[in-house]
Amino acid sequence: MKRILENIKIAFNSITLNKLRSFLTMLGIIIGVGSVIAVTSIGSAAEASISENIQSVGSNVITITPGRDRPFTSSSSGGESLREIQRETNINRSGGNARPPEEQGQGPAGGGFMGGMPMIEEEEEEEEIVAGELYLEDVSALKEKSDLLENIAPVLTLGNLNFSYGSSSGNISVTATSEQYPSLSGYEIDLGSFFTEFDVLNATSVVVLGYDVVTDYFGKINPIGEEVKINGEKFIVMGTLKSAGYTFGMSADNSIFIPVTTAQNKLYGNDTINQITAKVKSEDFIDAAIIEAKSILREQHSILPGEPNDFEISSSEQLLEMATSITDTLVITLASIAAISLLVGGIGIMNIMFVSVTERTREIGIRKAIGAKNRDILIQFLTESTVLSLSGGITGIGLAGLITWIINTFTALSSLITISPVVIALAFSTVIGLLFGILPAMRAARLSPIESLRYE
Amino acid sequence: MEKKIILTKEITKIYKVGDIKVNALRGINLEINEGEFVSIMGPSGSGKSTLMNILGCLDKPTSGFYYLDGINVMDLNDNQLAEIRNKKVGFVFQTFNLLPRLNIIGNVELPLIYSRREQSRARKDLINEVINSVGLAEWIKHKPSELSGGQRQRVAIARALINNPAIIMADEPTGNLDSRTGEEIMAIFQELNRRGKTIIFVTHEIEIAKHSGRIIYLRDGILCGEEKVKEPVNACKMLENMPKLEDKINNFSNNNSNVI
Ligand SMILES: Nc1ncnc2c1ncn2[C@@H]1O[C@H](COP(=O)(O)OP(=O)(O)O)[C@@H](O)[C@H]1O
Ligand SMILES: [Mg+2]
Repeated sequence: MKRILENIKIAFNSITLNKLRSFLTMLGIIIGVGSVIAVTSIGSAAEASISENIQSVGSNVITITPGRDRPFTSSSSGGESLREIQRETNINRSGGNARPPEEQGQGPAGGGFMGGMPMIEEEEEEEEIVAGELYLEDVSALKEKSDLLENIAPVLTLGNLNFSYGSSSGNISVTATSEQYPSLSGYEIDLGSFFTEFDVLNATSVVVLGYDVVTDYFGKINPIGEEVKINGEKFIVMGTLKSAGYTFGMSADNSIFIPVTTAQNKLYGNDTINQITAKVKSEDFIDAAIIEAKSILREQHSILPGEPNDFEISSSEQLLEMATSITDTLVITLASIAAISLLVGGIGIMNIMFVSVTERTREIGIRKAIGAKNRDILIQFLTESTVLSLSGGITGIGLAGLITWIINTFTALSSLITISPVVIALAFSTVIGLLFGILPAMRAARLSPIESLRYE
Repeated sequence: MEKKIILTKEITKIYKVGDIKVNALRGINLEINEGEFVSIMGPSGSGKSTLMNILGCLDKPTSGFYYLDGINVMDLNDNQLAEIRNKKVGFVFQTFNLLPRLNIIGNVELPLIYSRREQSRARKDLINEVINSVGLAEWIKHKPSELSGGQRQRVAIARALINNPAIIMADEPTGNLDSRTGEEIMAIFQELNRRGKTIIFVTHEIEIAKHSGRIIYLRDGILCGEEKVKEPVNACKMLENMPKLEDKINNFSNNNSNVI
């Protein structure tokens, strides 16, 4: 024990003797450890925040948007079975006219239960751009025919519109939707209430305000029943939302919500919508629900079998998977950069230890002359490289603390340095010190006492 | 018959420098009894240091036999040689060879660190006693660079004594010192010998050699004669006749009785 302390003391002495040199040597380890810890803690915080946001929406929400359907890889099982059905119907009904199944399979995914019309043999390849639209009738059709979906809501995002209350005005993002929206989005009502089915049916001029809008425009005034103007149109405040935080950098706090019908009549001048959002009754049926919704909408849009969809359906599960895989890739990339810098740091330590051994040849000779064994010298220099590396590691943890503190201060993330990367980093820097110190230490240990004493 | 603490047979040492071979030692046969005080004399380049390094187990001969206290040194591995350097032999160098960044305590303590004797309770006392015995009690916190040549050599002697070895070997211990300081060092050696230590030292000055009981002459790598010194010079008496006598030698002879 005394000897270990002795060696640590010797190590500190020689490290502090060349402060600048030791610091520069440690820099690789400091940066390596610092970035490993910072990246892992920030990465996991980012992932946690994303998945928390998605979880609050629910992983069983699907979103339908206008536009051509590109077959989703993760919902390919659905597409597969659809194609299967399509193939069967074609073979059965068009007899000798049917093409080989492989060729048919190459067509865009689609088709439906109302197949039976002969396939159009000619061009129906990708060039055909199908820019579909979604209407409130689509929502009604889904409500009427779907067994697997509930809380089906239209969404019309109007972008930033002029909003004014009294003398103050500004631009605020306006979302038009139905009474189903709160149960889909997870937004909670603070004051008053969300608008109702009645408001949507009768296109009443009511509005629900996000948290920041209330604080920005009303301060301490109770906004319920107050009259506001959106692009000059009068609206009555019906309710306000609690703060919802950020999802993908966007927040409902700075938005306002109005009935979709009112928006179409007064602000949009068009009877289309941007999006349909719905909840699948059970997470087990997400793929089936997507297939069901597809066939309902294809029928609604009178799409012929073999023709592509003019809409896209995606689930929040896919969104979550995507977000997770993005952060994972980011963490892995940065962690490998950090690992490389640790390697470089280790090589720096090896280099400086070789220098140290050469510089202290005489000291080694003296120690051996008075009875130090090869092992004693080996341990002395291994201790030195380990202390060097470990000091770098500890400084690196401090650096990581600083980085995460800065990130937490300037972003909405709340990353926390957990114990496991710290322990791993300390273990890593110890191992690096031992690993890259072993060669120089062995060289020192093998020096002959008399030749070392003669060294000038 | 007295116990032969050192016995060498036909020791040779050949240095190879590139293609040139230097025959530094050409068959040394040496016998030294326990408790003897022997000096090895010879001109520069005669192989004195080479011989001392071999006797001190710092180096190995090219051929021959060497028995130290009955142990065949030729058979020993690096670790066993380190053990002998640590416990059996105390080596004093011409150039002191102290560690510049350690203070006197640190330097004197060094052999204890490598001897794995856990005696922490008595350890501090022992170090202080040995430092006292060479007259450096007031300097224990100083670094070697803050000391005079004579004081540094005393530190080196204290370091050589700390593990209580049977033999003290010194290669020109007074070579870098003025005559008065050299005399003080010889006084310490004579006192150590009086207390039973075997002492072998190398010098090229006959006045220094005359402090020993036997002078062995070395020339061109072979022993070319030896003589018994009938009345060795008494260093303490010499110092009395020298100017600026200090009390340190008296301190030395009074204080170190329980160390040796
Ligand atoms: N490491 C060495 N390599 C080559 N030759 C050496 C070495 N050490 C000593 N010699 C040679 O061996 C001879 C004896 O040297 P040394 O033992 O130092 O003599 P002394 O100590 O009596 O002056 C000299 O000729 C010297 O040049
Ligand atoms: Mg010499």
